[in-house]
Order: sequence, then C-alpha cells, then structure tokens
Amino acid sequence: MKLDPAFIWTAFVKLLSAVPTTLFITVVSVAAGFLLGTAIALFRIYKVPVLGPLSAGYVTFIRGTPMLVHLLLIYYGLPAVIDGVSAAFGWSFRSVSIPYVVFALIAFTITASAYLSEVVRSGLLSVSSGQLEAAYSVGMTTPQAIRRIVFPQAFAASIPNLSNSFIGMLHGSTLAFTVSVVEINAKAQIVASTNWKYFEAYIAAAVIFWGLTVLIERLAGVLERKINIYNRGGVA
Amino acid sequence: MIRLRRITKFFGRNQVLKDIDLTVEKGEVVVILGPSGSGKTTLLRCINYLEKPNAGEVAIGELAVDCKRPSKKDIQALRRKTAMVFQHYNLFKHKTALENVMEGLVVVRKLAKEEARERSVRVLEKVGLGDKLDAYPSQLSGGQQQRVGIARALALEPEAILFDEPTSALDPERVGEVLEVIRNIAKEGITMIVVTHEMGFARDVANRVVFMDGGVIVEEGDPKIIFSRPKEERTRQFLKRITPEANYSI
Repeated sequence: MKLDPAFIWTAFVKLLSAVPTTLFITVVSVAAGFLLGTAIALFRIYKVPVLGPLSAGYVTFIRGTPMLVHLLLIYYGLPAVIDGVSAAFGWSFRSVSIPYVVFALIAFTITASAYLSEVVRSGLLSVSSGQLEAAYSVGMTTPQAIRRIVFPQAFAASIPNLSNSFIGMLHGSTLAFTVSVVEINAKAQIVASTNWKYFEAYIAAAVIFWGLTVLIERLAGVLERKINIYNRGGVA
Repeated sequence: MIRLRRITKFFGRNQVLKDIDLTVEKGEVVVILGPSGSGKTTLLRCINYLEKPNAGEVAIGELAVDCKRPSKKDIQALRRKTAMVFQHYNLFKHKTALENVMEGLVVVRKLAKEEARERSVRVLEKVGLGDKLDAYPSQLSGGQQQRVGIARALALEPEAILFDEPTSALDPERVGEVLEVIRNIAKEGITMIVVTHEMGFARDVANRVVFMDGGVIVEEGDPKIIFSRPKEERTRQFLKRITPEANYSI
C-alpha cells in the first residue's frame, strides 16, 4: 500500500464543505441539551415531585445506552409515532418530509441533555449554601438568587466539564452518517469511494477534528480566564 | 421594632428553641450571648427566615408573620426589612466589593444604577474601603471582606441588621477593625441584634444583653448588671469561663 500525500490535501479541502454540518449538529445539540439538562438538574436538586425521580430515571437510561442506539431509536421510532398521530388526527403531514438531520439533532440533544445535566448539577452543587443565604438575606427571591448569584458561579465552575462534553459531542456527531447526514466523517467516505483512498481521506478527517477540538479547547481556555478572574486561589 | 413570640424550632427530634419571646425596640442594640449549641444563631436566623421556625410569630414593625403557615410573600417581606452579616462573610464571590453592595439595591430595591452606585460608594467609604471598590472578595483580607459584608447590609437601610458572630472567623488582629465599624454604626441608632463571643464589645455597645442556654433565654438585662452581678447561676458559670480572671496558679 502506498500513501498518497497529495490526496490527503485534496480530501482535506473537500471535507471542509462538511464542517458547517458537523458544527451545526454539535452546537445545536449541545445548546438544546444544555437547556434541557439545566431543567433536569434543577428538578433533581430541588427534588421536584414526579419530575425529580423521572429526571433521575431518564439520566440513568440515557447514560446507560449508547449514543448510536439513541439515534437509531429516534430514526426508526419517531416516524412511526409521528405518522400514527398524524393519521389519527387526519393531518396530511407525513414523516418522510422530515430532513434526516432533524433525527440526528433530536437524538443528540437527548444524549447531550443527560450528560450535561450532570455537568450542570455538579456546577450547582459547587456553589456554597452561604451564597444563596446571602442572596436571600438581601431580599432576593429564589429565581433572582439562582439567576444572579448561583448560575454565574456554577457556570464558571462548569467550564472545563462543559468543554469536555462539547468535544465529546463533536466527535459523537460522526454517528449522524448512519442516518445519511453528510457530516465530516460521511464526506470522507464519499470522497474516498471514487478512488479507494480511504486512509488518506480519514487522515484528513482526523486532522480537521483535531483542529476543531483545539479550537474548542482554546475558546474554553479564554472563557475560563475571563469568567474566573474573581477566583484567585483554589488548589491551583 | 422586632417582636418574637413563642418561637419553637426543631432540628429533627432535637428541640433547639423552646418558646422564645424576645422584643427589640427601635434603635436598640441587643447582644445575644451563650455557649455553642444554645440556639442563639438559630434564633437570629429565624428572624429573616433563613431558618424556618416550627411555631411562633415573627413581627417586624407592622408586619406579623405566623410561623405555622407563612406565605412566600411574608418571608420576602421579612427579609426586605432586615439585613444580615454572616460569620463567614458570604460575599458574592463573582462580584466586586462595589457590586456586592449594589446588588441588593438594584435587584431587590429597584434603585437606578447610578443612585445605587452612589449610595454604595458612600457606604463603602464609611467602612473604610473607598479604595477597594473594584476588588473581588478573594483579593481582600478577612477583615476587609467582613466590612464589605457590613456595607452590603448597611446600604439596604434595613429596619434592623442581624449580626451572626461577625468576628468569629477573623484572626485576632482583624477583630478590632470590624468591631470598630460595628461600634460606629451602633452609634447612628440602627437597630442591631448581635450574636457574638466578644464580651468587651457586648459590655460597651449593647443596650441589652440576652443570655441563652439550652434553647431558652436564661437571663436578659442591662450589660452592666448582667456582667457584674447576674441573677442566674448558669449565667455566672458561663461568664466566669469566658472572662477568666487572672488567677491561674501553676
């Protein structure tokens, strides 16, 4: 087998067209997963009746099953549900008109929400109860205290874990190729299939993923320094 | 005026406050003394509902709240009539000294930013921190942090300030600067309830001393009288242990 370095470059250039798709899937599922995960974390921390235990069950199930399984369950299960409901109400809407990427977004949001709920929960638990008491003592309501005092500190404490999850979801988004979404990984396969130079194409894909990861790490680093200026000390 | 009536508090099956009655008049400085576990901090925290009494009534001014079924609005109202200075300062870690003081004024009292800023600067200058406005709590010494804590309470212009062992976490050299600040605001006629172990402070500043033990008020009265000739044996024991005379023999 002979490596064709020139084709690595060719593939690299071609793969760039798939970067927006990968980033779109990753950013949307992390953002939506973060919101859902925050709700889940609050339900659990405040031991909300029904929703609290339900959230705990959801988290163990989602974290206990592979991301690929979530994707396939949504891909095969959701259309059946949608078509069933649509038929029952006599609507003309059919699941075939839903773009594939939507299934990937829904499935990955579910995956991300479970992991991110734990990130958010640990962030919230890292804020000392004295902070909340001080907020109450100046007359804040619970939502005010959470929004103004607890969340900003929890978020600052969560940045390393968040960037970790973000990178995990970036790499996990490659699974979208199983439902015909052309992200970086799928694009590499397509590019290589014309001349069977898979190795070169995947090297190009690896380089792109690494580059994106480094970018995320850098951004997280900048954000951490910016937000954490108040935190001198600690163990470091 | 603050009036506590028949305040009862359980932690699990352990009763820490037993039918406590206490009235504090406007402008009065009341110091609560007692051994640890006597319930003094819990009593203080019942006033602004950081601790929820199981029974009794908390009244501040016109507002009387039945502890059996307080509404969220009642609790909110009690908290807005008071301010608290904490043993461990509890400054908002992610905010500067100035922002710490402004926070309640802007978010709770809905003051315009400029007005809140002016008032906050004025109060911080009063506690001697005019040059530390933009410092984060982590950049301040314990004594400075506690003075920010006092400024935060003072700026709200509450009907009463609750001090929960404000000098207990400070190293001995810093205690004086914080007590000095508290002494000065006491002179301004602000109603204060202070839980402390600083006997000298209690003697000099308090209008009235309340001695608690085992979840009840054992004795209360003028500090001069309490310190020199307490009525109760328990008070005598406590004061003897905490202000030992120089009679150690080797």
